[in-house]
Amino acid sequence: MSASAIQTVPTPLTGEQAETMAQRQIKKHHVAIVLLHWFNAISWLLELSTGAGLIVSPYYRFAPMWYLQMMEGIFGSRANMLRFHIAVGLTWTIVFLVYAIFGFRHYLRIEVLQHEIGLDRDDVQWLKVRTLLLFNRTKDPLPPQGAYNAGQKLFALLVYAMIPLIMLTGLTTSFHWFGTAIVAWAIIFHFFAVGMVVSGLMIHIYMGAVFPEEKPAFYSMITGTVDELYAYRHHFKWWRAVKIQEETWRDALRFKEAAEMPCTEERPDSKSSGNETPC
Amino acid sequence: MPRYAMVIDQERCVGCQSCAVACKSEWDVPNGSARTKVRQTGTVGHFPKLSTSFYVSQCNHCDRPTCVPACPTGATYQDENGVVRVNRDLCIGCCSCVAACPYGARYINAAIGKVDKCDFCASRLGRGLQPACVATCPARAKIFGDLEDSSSDVFRFVYCGAAKRMETANIAIGPNVYYAGKAEHALLALASFAPVPPRITAPGKVWGSFLNKFVYLVVGATFLGQAVAFFHQLSTGEKQFEE
Repeated sequence: MSASAIQTVPTPLTGEQAETMAQRQIKKHHVAIVLLHWFNAISWLLELSTGAGLIVSPYYRFAPMWYLQMMEGIFGSRANMLRFHIAVGLTWTIVFLVYAIFGFRHYLRIEVLQHEIGLDRDDVQWLKVRTLLLFNRTKDPLPPQGAYNAGQKLFALLVYAMIPLIMLTGLTTSFHWFGTAIVAWAIIFHFFAVGMVVSGLMIHIYMGAVFPEEKPAFYSMITGTVDELYAYRHHFKWWRAVKIQEETWRDALRFKEAAEMPCTEERPDSKSSGNETPC
Repeated sequence: MPRYAMVIDQERCVGCQSCAVACKSEWDVPNGSARTKVRQTGTVGHFPKLSTSFYVSQCNHCDRPTCVPACPTGATYQDENGVVRVNRDLCIGCCSCVAACPYGARYINAAIGKVDKCDFCASRLGRGLQPACVATCPARAKIFGDLEDSSSDVFRFVYCGAAKRMETANIAIGPNVYYAGKAEHALLALASFAPVPPRITAPGKVWGSFLNKFVYLVVGATFLGQAVAFFHQLSTGEKQFEE
């Protein structure tokens, strides 16, 4: 099969095909992304638990009293908890800044972002069908998706909008930047932005860790790979792109082999003779 | 547990500012700010029977402080002995408490970017000393003590005398700085420096009026949605092999 022969729409697979595809793993996430994901997850766990424990004012509080007392007990004092909250938040901010600077070419260029978080027509349809499917209200198939499905893209959009806000408001309140009036607004927007991410985070965790059909996506965040069958069924457009890359690479190899064949046969000692590029 | 209060005898106060100076030097209060202020009220009556008074204002350590709930980080809190204090480690200097205080007792310390106010010299109390302003007052116009102790001077002034709280019909949050002396002095002070209604800052209003509801709604709705999906998943069960 050559690159041009790869199917453009998903077709039903035979049992044998499906089984072979289920055995083959294809790379989805770079090891840096896997590490960053879990660093991010741990940071969020720590920041959310201490953040909730820090808001004690009756006007803003949402955690129950026993939780506030428990957290204060763990850290000894709320001042310690705040120091910890700021330390973890700062580390998290710095790591992401480093990621943004060094990973810019790979992950954050406009073309990459467009491809990763830009919604196309299939994505809009996917969102509709996916929601109806959750509540068993449709029999339509899900439209083919790229490396990230529309739900993941929406979550990414939300996160890309809120993360800079969380970092900036966090830094502002921690270090009293820009004076009193700005600090007062910053803390409010810190609460707001975290609330928005939490709402998306609940769906993100449910879909990743609990929802049965997306289980391979969860494991891909550990191994970095997914099986080809999952890719074919859930991320067809991405599967196709990977396949095209693979076949192009294979075609190139074949071409190279074919081109090199006669030379080696005719002159087995071509290297020693110094004539290295006879073809 | 003691319940600290202060009585300011307006008949004895001569407006010498000693308490303000003592407070400033004790707490390194920057220029232009004050934890304790001595201000002259207006005059009333007709010459030659004129009357004036001095109003010494500071944090009142109210029974129902409006500054405590206004603080988003919980930096402002009330000790069990009734003293309202600020934990500088937690303060972010957002000014919410400054707006919430009806007595204008708080200020932002520009040097540290955090709020500051009278705490009845808590560190001196811990060492068994009187607050600096009380110890300094040459006229003994400031009396400090424990309202739970029936032998204390403040107890006598507050429960046996006619010491008054600086309260109006609308703003009655139980201030624990009392004013003794002639009734007209207290009235004069109240007329000139009446407590103002506690204000909520614009960010606080935005949060309290709709932003908090919006956040709770969004988080609640997504939680509910996925809970429904989860129970649907539990009721249908999982398949070993995808179709």
